[in-house]
Amino acid sequence: MDEDNHDVDPKLLEILVCPLSKGPLRYDSKARELISERARLAYPIREGVPILLIDEARELEDGE
Amino acid sequence: MNETRDATDTVAFGFSDVAAGEKPALVRGVFDSVAARYDVMNDAMSLGCHRLWKRALMNWLRPRADMRLLDLAGGTGDLARRFLDAGGGDVVLTDINEAMLAAGRGRARARDRGRVARALVDAECLPFAPHSFDAVTISFGIRNCTDIDAVLREARRVLRPGGRFLCLEFSRLALPGLEELYDAYSFRAIPAMGRLLTGDREAYVYLVESIRRFPDQQAFAAMLAGAGLARVEYRDLSGGIVAMHSGWKI
Repeated sequence: MDEDNHDVDPKLLEILVCPLSKGPLRYDSKARELISERARLAYPIREGVPILLIDEARELEDGE
Repeated sequence: MNETRDATDTVAFGFSDVAAGEKPALVRGVFDSVAARYDVMNDAMSLGCHRLWKRALMNWLRPRADMRLLDLAGGTGDLARRFLDAGGGDVVLTDINEAMLAAGRGRARARDRGRVARALVDAECLPFAPHSFDAVTISFGIRNCTDIDAVLREARRVLRPGGRFLCLEFSRLALPGLEELYDAYSFRAIPAMGRLLTGDREAYVYLVESIRRFPDQQAFAAMLAGAGLARVEYRDLSGGIVAMHSGWKI
């Protein structure tokens, strides 16, 4: 659970789902986003803290 | 969710009625404004009693090393630290307000012992798989939520069977004769302290008004039962100024 290197806690990742679709999230460690394919949303991660608010999510582009 | 609330339906924001869609932003404004001095202000306005109330909540929860806690509206992490100090396992500390979560993070990291994970979440719409937690707590947070029934249903959903929901919130004073003093303290002293300590009197006018609009002990207990929680009980603290509510997922 080390937030210093700004990685998301692996134990937290295991239980996270998309707040909108309740479907799985894929961790994109390069873009620092959590991707919900089902809701077509990308949730940002800031300083290791996942921002799982629908209002803050980015809509996925076609083909993304 | 069984019922959906239209964003234009009105909900309480302190003593005002506002469109449901507007409440989250208004509440966010209150907490953005007071985040940096929030713990200091809690001490001042409760005359230190919030520490006793939170301790009472932990005593009722009885943390164990194998217990994983979700703390909603956990803000600066006060309750999360108490859970760890009392022998609890892991905590997922959440809040809807980034300023509140950040205010606690700088201070608390060394004391987290690597067992506190943070996430920004909306308690009405939780991003956790079912059966993820042994306990869910919310301390002085639920009255700021727009759809309280949704929070209770979501708490139940993420609890494992046998898991427990515990809520600490301002309630109805049950000691006759003290109402006048309590009113004077609430409506005059607290906003004045808020102005002195955080520079934002209006934020504390909101907090006091929101306390009076929140359902009383029995009405709130009925809401827990309505959300499917079992063996619902409550305990008054400080003569009912504050109450703890408990319900189980079975």
